[in-house]
Amino acid sequence: MSLEMNHVYYTYQEGSPAESHALQDICLNINEGEFLGIVGHTGSGKSTLIQHLNGLLKPSKGEVLIDDIDINRKDAKAQRKERRMRVGLVFQYPEYQLFEETVELDIGFGPRSMGLSEAEVTSRVQEAMALMQLDYNALRKQSPFDLSGGQKRKVAIAGVLAMKPKYLVLDEPTAGLDPMGREEFLELLGQLHQQGMTIIMVSHSMDDMARYAQRMIVMDHGKIQLEGTPREIFAQPVKLRELGLDVPTLTKLLLELKQRGLDVRTDLFEPQAVKAEIMRALKAGKEQVTC
Amino acid sequence: MLKDITIGQYLPGSSFLHKLDPRTKIIAVAVYMISLFVVNNFWGLGAMLVLSLAIVLISRIPLRFFFRGIKAIVFIVLLTVILQMFMTPGEPLVELGFLKITKEGVHQAVFMGTRLVLLVSVTSILTLTTTPIALTDGIENLLKPFQKIGVPAHELAMMMTIALRFIPTLVEETDKIMKAQSARGADFESGNLLERAKAMIPLLVPLFLNAIKRADELALAMEARCYHGGDGRTRMKALQYSGRDAIAGVCCLCMAAGAFLTRFI
Ligand SMILES: Nc1ncnc2c1ncn2[C@@H]1O[C@H](COP(=O)(O)OP(=O)(O)OP(=O)(O)O)[C@@H](O)[C@H]1O
Ligand SMILES: [Mg+2]
Repeated sequence: MSLEMNHVYYTYQEGSPAESHALQDICLNINEGEFLGIVGHTGSGKSTLIQHLNGLLKPSKGEVLIDDIDINRKDAKAQRKERRMRVGLVFQYPEYQLFEETVELDIGFGPRSMGLSEAEVTSRVQEAMALMQLDYNALRKQSPFDLSGGQKRKVAIAGVLAMKPKYLVLDEPTAGLDPMGREEFLELLGQLHQQGMTIIMVSHSMDDMARYAQRMIVMDHGKIQLEGTPREIFAQPVKLRELGLDVPTLTKLLLELKQRGLDVRTDLFEPQAVKAEIMRALKAGKEQVTC
Repeated sequence: MLKDITIGQYLPGSSFLHKLDPRTKIIAVAVYMISLFVVNNFWGLGAMLVLSLAIVLISRIPLRFFFRGIKAIVFIVLLTVILQMFMTPGEPLVELGFLKITKEGVHQAVFMGTRLVLLVSVTSILTLTTTPIALTDGIENLLKPFQKIGVPAHELAMMMTIALRFIPTLVEETDKIMKAQSARGADFESGNLLERAKAMIPLLVPLFLNAIKRADELALAMEARCYHGGDGRTRMKALQYSGRDAIAGVCCLCMAAGAFLTRFI
């Protein structure tokens, strides 16, 4: 059971002078239960890639499989809709998608269009709001447009969670949130992941990736340039800079220390490990001086 | 679909037509339109056809791109042609029950069809070779003399500029919201008319809200830059006629005279 992209190509405005090859020969396998991070500089094709994962964009060439079914094949029409519903997609600035009179109705839009009964819809809305730490009784009758920016974002994401997707795909979900909101939200994603949800997140923050992703892909010009665990990826600072990216803050600290002559490992990024490594290097350095 | 409409789009380039002053182009298109309706026989129409082809070639717009824009009006042209063919009274050529195709009808159909296609072609060449800003500058400048009799030239031009500027933004935004709602299971494609109209609500509410918000922000941004209408405003790119415009002007005169003369063939 997995999401799979096989040799996917995608071209915007094919045939016009402005045509742009947004994806080229993408092969990607996302396993159930995984936390996958997608990074890449602006315009590298991240958003285009994730829109393929639930059939919003059809590949110009290649195939996309959701749990072993090619979602773009004509003869799989009946299964297609159900499969697509397994992938929940949260767009960048998802608060744009709010439109209903009340928070409750808006979050219920997804489940309702899946054809669930009213009772089921209500329980899903409650569940999703609880997950996003929104107070059901206080907010249900409010207009989503009267909420603060952060709350709007939560409502919008609850609207996707209410559909109980197996795979949750998020496009820069923390863009524009304040530090607290950001922290809270990432914690929450971590929790969802622990509960068994597959999470695919696009982000520009290497620190977030270092903390949460189990596996990362790095995109550039519509191609996957690097793939591996955060440790493997962040061990290549030169290559990352070539691709217009950077390493996490703490790795940067280690690199800086090394440049100044301290003999430290530079492939770490967890606060504890970095601290231990610096302490160790300092101690070793001192011993050398005393001898 | 939406993206196939090339009228109103601008395609950067450096052809003779791209470099012409927008005022020349606007007047030339007006003269062209008049000429197109002055010619009344096949000689004249043929000449206009050849001339239009030449204009398209001079503009160096990729033909494939150009014809895709024309495809958008095929339906209207066909409708016109068919209506003209059957509805014009005259000497019958073919009779199918109560329907009859007349000689005059065929004549009219060919004329109207060709005129429509040429009209759209040349107007889209105008917008394809002129930036929206230059176009509205040109219109404003041409309308200036009428300001004395109360035509709000500057305001009209500014409104056009803003509208043209925001069409692509709106199209993009529609696309984005449509995708976000389809990801939530909205279905814009199936169902009867009523269901489809209802399915538009999740699209239209955010779209309008954003448009209103954007209008507000734009007004604020304009005010913050001391925009106060057209009086005393200077331009970064002042319009300037050059030798090219003289050449184009002479060509226009020849076209108009030629069109008039073909009536006597
Ligand atoms: N609707 C569109 N029409 C034409 N070209 C597009 C369209 N959307 C994206 N592109 C082009 O496709 C390429 C990839 O875009 P994409 O949005 O996937 O990038 P991204 O990695 O998500 O960037 P960002 O980090 O800025 O969100 C870009 O070069 C972009 O210009
Ligand atoms: Mg993006």
